[in-house]
Amino acid sequence: MKSGYQIVGKRVNRVDALAKALGKAKFTSDFKRQDMLIGKALFAKFPHAIIKGVDTAKAEQLEGVQAVLTAKDLPGRNGYGILVPDKPVIAEKKTKYEGDAVALVAAVSEEIAKKALGLIEVEYEVLPAYDDPRQAMKDDAIHIHEAHPAADKGNILTTVALDSGDVEKAFREADIIIENSYETPMVDHAYMETDVCMAEPDPLTGGLTLCSPQQAVYATKRCLAPVFGIPQNKIRTFCPIVGGGFGGKEDSVLDVSAMAGVLALKTKRPVYFELDREEVFRTTGKRHATYIKHRMAATKDGKITAVDVETILDKGAYTSMGGLNNPLMAVTQRTAMYAGGTYFIPNARARSHSVFTNHPYSCAFRGFGAPQAMFAVECQIDELAKALNMDPIELRLKNILRHGDRTIFGQVMKENRGLGLEECITKVKGRMDWDKSLDQGNGPVKKGKGIAVFMYGTGIPLLFEGASCYVNLELDGSVSVAVAATEMGQGIVTALTQTAAEALGVRYEDVNVTYSDTATAPDCGPTVGSRAAVVVGNAVLDGCNKLRERMLSVASKEFKKDPRDMDIKQGEVFIVGKPETTMPLAAIVSKAFITQVPLAAVGTWYPPQPSFRAEDGQGEPMHAYTFGVQAVEVEVDTETGELSVTRSVLACDVGKAINPSLVEGQMEGGAAMGIGWAILEEGFMNKGVMENASFHNFLIPTIKDLPELESIIVEHPNDLGPYGAKGIGEPPLIATAPAIRNAVCNALGISINTIPLTAVRILAAVKNQQAVGGGN
Amino acid sequence: MAANLNLKVNGQEYQIKVDPAKRLLDVLREDLGLTGTKEGCGEGECGTCSVILNGKLVNSCLVLALQADKADILTVEGLAENGKLHPLQQAFMKEGAVQCGYCTPGMLLAAKALLDSNSSPTKEEIKLAISGNICRCTGYDQIIRAVESVVKARERN
Ligand code: FES
Ligand code: FES
Repeated sequence: MKSGYQIVGKRVNRVDALAKALGKAKFTSDFKRQDMLIGKALFAKFPHAIIKGVDTAKAEQLEGVQAVLTAKDLPGRNGYGILVPDKPVIAEKKTKYEGDAVALVAAVSEEIAKKALGLIEVEYEVLPAYDDPRQAMKDDAIHIHEAHPAADKGNILTTVALDSGDVEKAFREADIIIENSYETPMVDHAYMETDVCMAEPDPLTGGLTLCSPQQAVYATKRCLAPVFGIPQNKIRTFCPIVGGGFGGKEDSVLDVSAMAGVLALKTKRPVYFELDREEVFRTTGKRHATYIKHRMAATKDGKITAVDVETILDKGAYTSMGGLNNPLMAVTQRTAMYAGGTYFIPNARARSHSVFTNHPYSCAFRGFGAPQAMFAVECQIDELAKALNMDPIELRLKNILRHGDRTIFGQVMKENRGLGLEECITKVKGRMDWDKSLDQGNGPVKKGKGIAVFMYGTGIPLLFEGASCYVNLELDGSVSVAVAATEMGQGIVTALTQTAAEALGVRYEDVNVTYSDTATAPDCGPTVGSRAAVVVGNAVLDGCNKLRERMLSVASKEFKKDPRDMDIKQGEVFIVGKPETTMPLAAIVSKAFITQVPLAAVGTWYPPQPSFRAEDGQGEPMHAYTFGVQAVEVEVDTETGELSVTRSVLACDVGKAINPSLVEGQMEGGAAMGIGWAILEEGFMNKGVMENASFHNFLIPTIKDLPELESIIVEHPNDLGPYGAKGIGEPPLIATAPAIRNAVCNALGISINTIPLTAVRILAAVKNQQAVGGGN
Repeated sequence: MAANLNLKVNGQEYQIKVDPAKRLLDVLREDLGLTGTKEGCGEGECGTCSVILNGKLVNSCLVLALQADKADILTVEGLAENGKLHPLQQAFMKEGAVQCGYCTPGMLLAAKALLDSNSSPTKEEIKLAISGNICRCTGYDQIIRAVESVVKARERN
């Protein structure tokens, strides 16, 4: 691997760290102005009901109210969505979940807006609400959408199929079959910054400016243009830094922006629309809950020969990023694609059904379906190891994908794209002292170790996958880069600054990256799919390389040397091998400026065209995959059911860490979020009503719930990534839950297949085992 | 009916008229323009709104503005003095304790309140001190390391 980088691979401080540490970095709500109207929504009182009538007369008369809108007052299409426009801005005939707005209000103050909501009278005819997709998919279930533009059948939005090899034969010939059911919960992203939008009509263009924390400024305006009845080129969407997204703000931004936008258009005034925390819980997207039946066939010496997996996803009320069959995409597809985990399995069948319920819409959430799929398969591997009396690591090493192996979705693994899984496993095994058994003592607290592995593709497997950006050389030798990607804490602005500085040979301080604004940057795709540092990074690299070539060609005339014999470092241009010949880059740029050499470039990058067949789920969806291993130690109190994770070691093959501190930040944060999903988090839904819509009872990890989080960076470069990089935003949490579940099983000798592993659940399993044991 | 409110925030005296229903958080953000203090939940569960009030860490979303009459308040904007960063701010930057930054102001003040009352806290004491502040990004390790590094530097001096 090429070494000797100046800035890439270095632990430089984040570009935004100082302003954030000073409390001076502004988030969207920090730009609230006194002249803005306050927008509010009256959300559905019943999650599933027919709206018989909405009376807004009293609210309209309240002094200070500037507008009250119902579905009949909208300027454009009453529907939007990233994949399908099936979510209304304001529900007209029916409510389908608690987060459907039935009326909107804009008023001069928050107090008046809230008061106005209380004056709106809505008459409902309540319908039975669905909490369980397994019930909702039955033939006699009430159709939640009376006429859905894309649904396959009834409440089934879509069924994704994946087939390879001969599954029936493999199961017939198997020495051993492991068959179990698994359940994973619906959870909230719980980003600390709640959703908010400031919408402002632009009297000059007749357009609209929308400022809202989000992950995809271009997708937002494309999705909402028909709602406003305004062409895309007159909508500006942007945001400052974002207080966490984790996939959720790809979608929730549409909700607040649609509502703020229509109120702004109606009143011709700037409107500030913010959700409070309870509203975020009740109305915004969630991680898909899943119900998975997993069958695995193997030989007696531990070679996996087949998997047969059925996954039912709780879609919630709207499609969001749930999935479609044609084109085949999104979360539903990922649950099928990753149903065989990181293993070479010649025969596979997976069916994933995405089913409407009366829950908040399920959307993108860090891992995008992979955590659910990997949870099942990684538990299954441990069950197989137990049945064969084999070490779980040994069994995994026997089956992991290696160079030339085909995944169950048909992609051939290549070492030159980075295949560092085995190294991750070896390193974690060593760090954990895996073969040493834990001292159990005599008390009620039992200890256990567990491991799980994962893979996760970088980017999105869609035809448009790719990115563009602008790179501009300034006359003083500094560099401006404009990307539409979002800075939500992951550190993309820092990583791109390092990428650009390295490529152009300027100092880190001399690069300024602006971000997430459709007015300043071209589309680079959404900041999702662990893609920005790689896909957008490559676009930045491309733009920088173009300018570098131009400057070297200008310099070659000055130095009378072939451009190939020249280099730029630290903002100085010089002849290779003769560092004393330097000339400041600024001087070369000025020369270029007066000799008709353009100083601006559009950088672009596209991966090999992603492919995916709808018939059998086979293709080459992503150009590279990140691999990793999570291992944990746990302690379980068999008297109280209390579980604590006492050790966490995570190794990830990231290709190349552009900034190891940022990578570790993603790894530690991911492991923490994975621990939350495994042991704490769970949305309690009762007939469509969320019973724990507050941090008081929707628990996410505090420092008290977490052990020290150890991270090991492994680097098997991806020859198509910038400096070898692969994506690392989402992957770190994918294997955490199964590792913890496997450790709990190891401690107790009981298999628990539903997360989160709360004290109640563990205690019930312990009691159940004691009862069964007692009966023997 | 607006009421009089006297406050000292970050060393500066303020005399303002406020709506008595307002929370301290709103007064800081809206009336004084000190937007460094964040609102993550509005119900005392997340700590993003933490400030130090008369030497004690409080959730400013749970304090009515008038309850803070005549109080001495420190917000994140007052941590750096005369343009010099507080050692905690420096350590947060250096240790990578800042990701999205939304919890950072509250975390810094929770750590400051701890160090003010206990100059050499143990790791457990540090954990306890920030256990009321939620961070969804970092996993807390880097935050603990940052606070520990300040403690160590102090012990050396
Ligand atoms: S906003 Fe005050 S504790 Fe969350
Ligand atoms: S850094 Fe994002 S919540 Fe802590």
